[in-house]
Amino acid sequence: MGHPLSSPEHAHHALLYMWRIRKFEEAVEDLFGRGMMHGTMHLSIGQEASPTGMCMAMTLQDQITSTHRGHGHCIAKGADLTRMIAELLGKKIGYCGGRGGSMHIADVETGNLGANGVVGGGIPIAAGAALASKMMKRGTVAVSFFGDGAMNEGAFHEAANMAAIWKLPMILFCENNKYGMSSSTEKAFAIDNLADRGKGYGIPGINVDGNDVVAVYEVAQVAVDRAKAGEGPTLIIAETYRWKGHSRSDKNLYRTKEEIEEWRTKDPIPKFIARVLEEGVLTQEQCDLIQNDAIEAIKAAVNEAVKAEPAEPSGLLDAVFKAVSA
Amino acid sequence: MSFKYPVVMPKMSMTMETGELINFHVGVGDQVKSGDVLFEVMTDKIDMEVEAPADGVIESLVANPGDVVEIGKPVLIMLTETEVMAFDFGTDNEPVAAVEVVAAPAPVVPTPVVAAAPVILNETVKAVPKARVEAANRGVDLRTVRATGPDRTIMMEDVNAAQLDPAVTKRQAANKALIAKGIEMTRGIAQASFTRSVKAEFDHATFIAAWAKVLRNRPDLAVHQHIGVALIIESKYGSALPVFKDPDQSNRADLAALVASTTQAAKNGKVPVAMLSGATTTVFDLTSYSMSSATPLLFPNQVTSVTIGYESATTKIVSLTIDLNFCDFYDGALLLDALVVAL
Amino acid sequence: MSDRMLTMAEAVREAMSIAFDERPEVFLLGEDVGIYGGAFGVSGDMYHRYGAERVLDTPIAELGIVGAAVGAALSGMRPIVEIQFSDFTAQAMDQIANQAAKIHFMLGGALHVPMVLRTPQGSGTGAAAQHSQNLEPWFASVPGLKVVVPSNPADAKGLLLAAIDDPNPVIFLEHKLLYKIPGRDPVPEGATRIPLGVSKVVREGKDLTIVATGIMVNKSWEVAEKLAAEGIGVTLIDPRTISPLDMQPVFESVEKTGRLMVVQEGPAHAGFINEVIAQMAGSSTFGSLIAPIKRLAGMNIPIPYAPQLEKAAVPQIDDIEAAAREIVKNWR
Repeated sequence: MGHPLSSPEHAHHALLYMWRIRKFEEAVEDLFGRGMMHGTMHLSIGQEASPTGMCMAMTLQDQITSTHRGHGHCIAKGADLTRMIAELLGKKIGYCGGRGGSMHIADVETGNLGANGVVGGGIPIAAGAALASKMMKRGTVAVSFFGDGAMNEGAFHEAANMAAIWKLPMILFCENNKYGMSSSTEKAFAIDNLADRGKGYGIPGINVDGNDVVAVYEVAQVAVDRAKAGEGPTLIIAETYRWKGHSRSDKNLYRTKEEIEEWRTKDPIPKFIARVLEEGVLTQEQCDLIQNDAIEAIKAAVNEAVKAEPAEPSGLLDAVFKAVSA
Repeated sequence: MSFKYPVVMPKMSMTMETGELINFHVGVGDQVKSGDVLFEVMTDKIDMEVEAPADGVIESLVANPGDVVEIGKPVLIMLTETEVMAFDFGTDNEPVAAVEVVAAPAPVVPTPVVAAAPVILNETVKAVPKARVEAANRGVDLRTVRATGPDRTIMMEDVNAAQLDPAVTKRQAANKALIAKGIEMTRGIAQASFTRSVKAEFDHATFIAAWAKVLRNRPDLAVHQHIGVALIIESKYGSALPVFKDPDQSNRADLAALVASTTQAAKNGKVPVAMLSGATTTVFDLTSYSMSSATPLLFPNQVTSVTIGYESATTKIVSLTIDLNFCDFYDGALLLDALVVAL
Repeated sequence: MSDRMLTMAEAVREAMSIAFDERPEVFLLGEDVGIYGGAFGVSGDMYHRYGAERVLDTPIAELGIVGAAVGAALSGMRPIVEIQFSDFTAQAMDQIANQAAKIHFMLGGALHVPMVLRTPQGSGTGAAAQHSQNLEPWFASVPGLKVVVPSNPADAKGLLLAAIDDPNPVIFLEHKLLYKIPGRDPVPEGATRIPLGVSKVVREGKDLTIVATGIMVNKSWEVAEKLAAEGIGVTLIDPRTISPLDMQPVFESVEKTGRLMVVQEGPAHAGFINEVIAQMAGSSTFGSLIAPIKRLAGMNIPIPYAPQLEKAAVPQIDDIEAAAREIVKNWR
């Protein structure tokens, strides 16, 4: 991919993918609210710009690890919408055959090594993927998406340090939505600027407005170039906000209504639309069409997934291990 | 263009199935913006405000405050200017076909072939698994099998022995008769019993040597010239009572060997004839039966009788019965004390 | 060693070297495995033979190390992770049990983790409570992990080669006390694999079946030798892989002997060896038992420091011998 404003095609891609993530999450919210999805859902409505911008600086072979709030990362990296919904509905054709659920979706073909239900669980794994890329001289990068909460996990520290000492082609991408479940960053960190932590590992720490897909892309491309040049990892802190609660069990008790209203004005999608219109990269009509495309794509995916066969218990025992070839 | 959008009772926790509508914040005809609160709902764990998903106007109110509404069912209808992602697939309410339960056929219990004159020895049966299988196969009722394994558990050996060996049964009967006759004779004698706990470890050889030593220190209570300790040993043939003469005067190792070999022989039904007489006292070890005590009965021509019982892994119970014609209560208590000390 | 009586450390090193030569994607990472040659000398001179690109010294960061191994395994490499003491796998448990073990299942088979985690376990070196544990049940109880416990150098070599071949995460538990001594048998030349999930009947006898793991196999063997001289026959079975567990030879043997004794080093309560008892108790072979099942295992205590206390905490040869004699004598 390339810079979102560099051509109508790129702008189209950026807007389409942000809309796809938005509409996907809204659809999941609706389906879950009707009791059609089991368990719980962690939605990223309002956080679309970060994964979209980051993934536009990556190729298909580059790898990502993701979090429990990972639908956006999956979609931005190019996942199949039908198979995603099917997984959330517990269907056979779901990405994990119904065995993983929302928090464990992976897509090998698009370099997605999986969302992770353990906070910080994917960060050392991404470091390992970067290590493999370096050892095999593949020239790819591995991006670990994680939230501000994960930065206090030991796993973050160990992975960041190893990536730094071995100059692994890795990007540590923090979506700082200011809350780890209910603990705000003000209470969980003794520092104000999370990017300062990069200094502790000897790597650059960069702040970016996570709701500005153009800004995210620009910072991401710098980090990717650095990694591919063998200069090592970069820590990106993308400031964003979580519209809906931590999950569908969340009561929104810990944020004020004013806080929520303020951030609604920073919606990344209208922000980008205003920008492309201003720069004349796309017309209003084109933008409307893109929104429509996204809605239709999600509807089609849901309709197809709902009709698919549910996963069955037979075969569960055989699914634990990969068969040893003779 | 406007879209009709039902705002439903949302699922707010993993286990929620219904919610209660508390009140509406809007009325029919009200204009609302995306994010405005439409109504409040409650479950036992959570209360929450439900917001408008998009800009629009309230068309109608479906539920009433206080209603308990199933998740996914509409609470109000609004008309929106933009299409809201909404999917209503209805619910599947196919009745589940009643499962026919076919009663399993009653298991056929083979009636055990009961040997002539079966005697119930064990009200509750403890047996090793193979013994149970074999007994079932051979039609042997385990309650009639004499248990000689640890903790009164029936072993394979016992089942094999119970397999209608007439020689065994005859000897069992003969042994019993002998003991009964002896006990009968002592029934008229005035007796008293004493009991003490002992925290000590000892084998049979040690015990009978200690007891003999204690008795030797009380020549005034002796009826005979020598001391002969009869040790009751259980086997599939019944009880055997080999007598160990003056065990306190034997070399300890020799005595231990003698006790071991005699025990083994007795379990096989063979006791040297020479050891069958001369008992002046009897010792009965009940610990393999998990018993703590039994009334030690006096055997013919004996004035003392001792049992060893089980209290715990570290503690045994020693009980002594005396013939009051020869010892009085004080003597009895002293004898028991001395024995405990000797152990 | 001029002959093939290699120590466990040498046998493991030989297996790793063979794997390194066969496949360029195999590599070793862990604390002190490179220049130092491994805390117990297992990797030895591999750093000099294969270089820093394939023998990676890591910082002290077990969670990060195992996580990196998982990520590398997902991306086409075959890492061997050495965790210096099995006790420290606790630091890495998220990556072992929540990630490596579950990825293949959770992701519907889309990805798998061909990783081997080698680590020394067990007591007897005076290293005390936090460096002496036997954690077989921790790993055996997690679906998605294969767990191997070699009892001798010859087995260790063949099993490790098979473990590296395996596309799934394998936990390979080596006993510290076995590192520096040869086994009873010479270590074969070549690269023959011993398949995972196959138990070995080490010797046969008619009176008692003993199932033991790890170092207890060797202690039980000594007892079996002694009893054999007195005409008491012991069948000794070494599962080698404790998960998945091959119980077939155990059933076959107990049907002949009627007596079962299980011996493990780790604490008795909720230990791995209870799985053998549980399967026996629920099987059709249960009806062949002529004696209660005897379990010998460690005391339910952390491993103490003083040598006499350390010895008392786990079954010794005398304990195994006494128990064996007792069962055979008292249950006929």
